[in-house]
Amino acid sequence: MGKLYAVEIVYRGIFQKKLATNISRAIVLAAHLDGKPGISFGRYGDSPERNGIPAKNFAIVATDEQTLQEGMAKYEPKEVDITISVDDTLCKGVESWAWYGLQPINKLTKPGGTLIVTSMEPAEKLIEMAHNRETPYNLAIVKGSRSFSGLWVYKDDHTDVRVLGAIAKVMPELVSLDAMKKTILQEWKDPVKVASAEKSYNRVTKALVQPGQGNPETPYQFELPKWHEMGEGVAIPCIPVGKTVEDPVTHVLGGIRPDRNPTFKKFSTRTMRPVVNFETCIKCTLCWLQCPDTCFDVTPEGLYDANMEACCGCGVCEAVCPVDKCVTMVAETEFADNGSQWETWRKDSTGYLQWLNQKIESRPERSHGFRFKGQYQEQVGEMLQIAQES
Amino acid sequence: MATIVQIDPTQQLDPFKSVKKIPTHEFFTSGHRTCQGCESALVMKMMVKAAGPRTIVLGSTGCMYVANTTYYSTSWVVPWMHTQLGSSGSAALGAAAGLKAQMRKGKMKQEPINVIAFCGDGGGADMGLGAISATMTHPDYNLLILLYDNESYANTDIQLSGSTPWGANTTFSTPGSVKRIMHHRWKKNMAGLMAVGHPTCRYVATICMSYGLHGMNSIRKALTIGGPTFIHSLDPCPKGWDYDPIQSHELGELAVQCGIWPLYEVEDGKLRLTGRTQQIADGKIPRKPVRDYLLRQGRFAHFTNDDLDYFQSKIDQMWTKWLIPGVIPFEKDLAADNPPA
Repeated sequence: MGKLYAVEIVYRGIFQKKLATNISRAIVLAAHLDGKPGISFGRYGDSPERNGIPAKNFAIVATDEQTLQEGMAKYEPKEVDITISVDDTLCKGVESWAWYGLQPINKLTKPGGTLIVTSMEPAEKLIEMAHNRETPYNLAIVKGSRSFSGLWVYKDDHTDVRVLGAIAKVMPELVSLDAMKKTILQEWKDPVKVASAEKSYNRVTKALVQPGQGNPETPYQFELPKWHEMGEGVAIPCIPVGKTVEDPVTHVLGGIRPDRNPTFKKFSTRTMRPVVNFETCIKCTLCWLQCPDTCFDVTPEGLYDANMEACCGCGVCEAVCPVDKCVTMVAETEFADNGSQWETWRKDSTGYLQWLNQKIESRPERSHGFRFKGQYQEQVGEMLQIAQES
Repeated sequence: MATIVQIDPTQQLDPFKSVKKIPTHEFFTSGHRTCQGCESALVMKMMVKAAGPRTIVLGSTGCMYVANTTYYSTSWVVPWMHTQLGSSGSAALGAAAGLKAQMRKGKMKQEPINVIAFCGDGGGADMGLGAISATMTHPDYNLLILLYDNESYANTDIQLSGSTPWGANTTFSTPGSVKRIMHHRWKKNMAGLMAVGHPTCRYVATICMSYGLHGMNSIRKALTIGGPTFIHSLDPCPKGWDYDPIQSHELGELAVQCGIWPLYEVEDGKLRLTGRTQQIADGKIPRKPVRDYLLRQGRFAHFTNDDLDYFQSKIDQMWTKWLIPGVIPFEKDLAADNPPA
């Protein structure tokens, strides 16, 4: 029996669909050149994809045809040699839209396997974001900011080939750098992309993650109904309307926190989250009213507190807010918890404002898909510069 | 002569006077699996907020079914039922007739209950058109059909529908290197079709939830007037239109401000332009050029200046040549249509 290799690419649905396909496809094509058969496929349960909701692609490669067939007989791999996360905020966990609960990013990574992350963050920060586990694994970082585009226009900032170069470095027995370079030239007919892959091969940084290192939280999960518990016809209870909110200082009751679907939370869907300045808020209601995810709780004094269980980070609240820097979108990497901002502000307004300003200052330029024609051409130059320097 | 039509009383839902008067309770809540910045989910939220708690919602297949009620879970606070892709009309009529009969027989307390069926543009403007049309001819039942239109079959990954605008990139109309424009049809005029062809339909409106108060008040008006009513909502779709979700709200505003999506209502046969559209028609605000709207979306990124000009000319035609601007596309003199090659 031969050897089977599996790679998973965890990505943001739609935003990185093309990017993930490019990566998994090229892995398999390069393995073919090295004489190994393989198959690249998207996870069935992730389709139809939704913007931002985590999804997966797999590349399965084997040393011979029979081993590949055995590997493909499974619905999806139970363990992988390499996990690739093309958005570093996915290190906090993966909640796909078609199943329940949060899966740690490193859940399928074999003991001693590698998690490759594209990020501008240092290794320590990424390790803290990922859930801890009992076996060691490697963290490899391809330095670069998140590459987001949409269904129709692709931002060709070389993130795809840079990840491919890193794979050849991390696991040469899966695919050699030579085969990878040949494949890239065949696929894209662009020698600059080959050079980007080789630079990434030489510059990818690695760190060993020890057992127990990382986020100690138990990932959010619950029991699924069994098939024999389902009745004839499908009827389920509606969601209750919600409860009043209690002020943590005065214990005054008021406002409303709507009850929410307990089986799907959106915190793994977002790459950015809103931070709210409750002191400049003019209570215009627009963030609350225009939020497609009903994520704002109404506080007793009529302020709007973005609930981090329900926020998917679209940014509409920032767009509609008429006050400068009252609602501001900040990268999800800057936060370690999902607590209520309003409660923190009520308990210590000075401390909260300091925290808020610090978060706003850390804000990178938004790169969250297509905003105007010609934008990607402008951005790609900048991204390539990062690629060359790193 | 006694009238044959016997219609039950409806809930009297007065318009919300301002955004601050909108109740804080939600009847469609968080935990649906829609895209970041999904405006159709916003329509669902505002639709039931406007209708209130005594409401039954029926939804035909589409994003707002698949994403909102996946595998034994829901985001609905009010009762909701799924119906087949083409059956929003039949489901609305059946539910309204069922309620009426139950109340007449004394099996239910006599009270006005809102019945709203929603459908996407695929389910409503394409597949379900026959059933919706038939439903609109029944004057005896109180129901509202709300068409949430994101201009493609977005749930199954953006196949073009009868509502997709000219030239847009979809899975079925990908621009190529030889042929750039692969979609040559213009968007179906659903609200106009409903209003012109269905004299028994007492209220038809077009809305866009970027103007939330306006949209919610249209829904309240439809439910109060009673009989079969129809509302068509335009919903920017970050997935299918290919844009950064932060633009969702603004693109809805731009669709109206560029004159592509005229807001109007037809109440018992009387037409009234509403909201920003009325202001444009009255010359109070200028109509923006369509390129402001089109170039913000990846689905139009392949457009050349000729395409933009052509699109603009069709919108100008709608405003200057149509028998009733924005609503009824009859012209006395037909101009030649010359789309770019």
